[in-house]
Amino acid sequence: MVRWPSVARKAHKWLSLIIGVQALFWVVSGLYMTAVHIDIIHGDHLVRTPVAEPISMVGLVDPAVILKTAGGAQSLRLDQQLGQPVYIVSQKEGRSLFDARSGEKLPLIDEAGARQRAEQIYAGDGGVREMELLYEIPGEIRGRPAPIWRVQFEGLWRPTLYIAPQTGELVAKRHDLWRTFDFVWMFHIMDYETRDNVNNLLLKIATWMMVVTSLTGAWLLLYSFRRKRRVRKAAA
Amino acid sequence: MFLIRRLHKWFGLVLGLQFLLWSISGAAMALIDHRKVAGEESIVHSTPSPTPAGVLSLAQVAQAVGQPISQIELRPLQDAWVYAATTPSGVQLVDPVDGRRIVIDDARAKTLAVAAFNGTAPVTSVSRVDKPTLETRDFALPAWRVEFADKEKTTLILNAVTGEVAGAKTNTWRLWDFFWMIHIMDYTDRQSFNHPLIIIIATGCLWLALSGFIMLFSAFRRQDFAYIHDGIEWLQRRR
Repeated sequence: MVRWPSVARKAHKWLSLIIGVQALFWVVSGLYMTAVHIDIIHGDHLVRTPVAEPISMVGLVDPAVILKTAGGAQSLRLDQQLGQPVYIVSQKEGRSLFDARSGEKLPLIDEAGARQRAEQIYAGDGGVREMELLYEIPGEIRGRPAPIWRVQFEGLWRPTLYIAPQTGELVAKRHDLWRTFDFVWMFHIMDYETRDNVNNLLLKIATWMMVVTSLTGAWLLLYSFRRKRRVRKAAA
Repeated sequence: MFLIRRLHKWFGLVLGLQFLLWSISGAAMALIDHRKVAGEESIVHSTPSPTPAGVLSLAQVAQAVGQPISQIELRPLQDAWVYAATTPSGVQLVDPVDGRRIVIDDARAKTLAVAAFNGTAPVTSVSRVDKPTLETRDFALPAWRVEFADKEKTTLILNAVTGEVAGAKTNTWRLWDFFWMIHIMDYTDRQSFNHPLIIIIATGCLWLALSGFIMLFSAFRRQDFAYIHDGIEWLQRRR
């Protein structure tokens, strides 16, 4: 005769041995992601909301002129940076910045320009701690074009802004809570390489194993509370 | 160890169902192709036509818009181009050649959606969305919702102000979204995973998992591994 409680216990025990550590990772990472609000993770508190100030069109070069200078433009935008009117032009080969008064293409933003822009955007208290023009894109902003200015600020959880030298725009904001989220997310979806493939084979196997483990646990529950009832019956 | 066992048992009884639901919904989402969920394959990105000759000057755009402007963008909208001017009352589209105002009405939304749809199925419905729905919760509103008659019931969501295709929702997404709701325990909006209920249950499940993990150390006896040991010995002998 098959002793079902023993089968359930054995199945639950052995499955747990295999999946137990990952189950713990799932719960811990899940708890972190729920407990720290996603707006904080995104670093919304690190930057000021830009005030939309009207642009004076007087003395500005027209879009038609910029289009002629920058051949094959895919789009073009008139904006203001540090109080100066600029055109941001998208082309197949990338994006670039034009002076809207002279119509000339501007060189890559230098350290002073990147620092000024970062300080204007940053909403925290501390000042700039370190700046570097990176030619290799770090993992925390994977997929962005190089080179890029990394501006690290003083303050809690190492706040960092990334400024594109091509356009002077803010590309990303990072801090240690984001970095921790990214790290636990890697464990949650078990993609240890690119951290973005939620359909990887390892995850599929592990999650279904977890389903079976949970089910055998539920099965075990059926036997786990029986003894007391019997004792009570016997006492009665 | 007795206490740990009791904790595991009672936490299992109280929280086990949610733990099981997390396992099942997680496993289901791992199976559903995320590219299909994101709707990337439903949208074709047409190569933009060259910029039109004789685009309006800044002064002419400002005159056509008639409001203070904080940003002007000249960009493609499917096979045509538009000026998009950001004003205090929102974005306004202007034809870059004749300066006429462009409004994204239902007919225009339909044309734009058909051009952007990666398929041949006809449109079944075009409707305007002013209040957030499950499908449009992540997009700026108002929006146009254009549904197609393909197998996936692909629905393109277009920004009703700018005409841009904001995203695509398919039956694959709808299925995924159900499991997502179960997973994040936000049964009304399916949006937030930062609410007290999920944090409390997850904290409880941490104890469930932790007590189970601790029990692993005492759950096995030497003889449990005898089979493995025997197997290894057998393999060694064969060599």
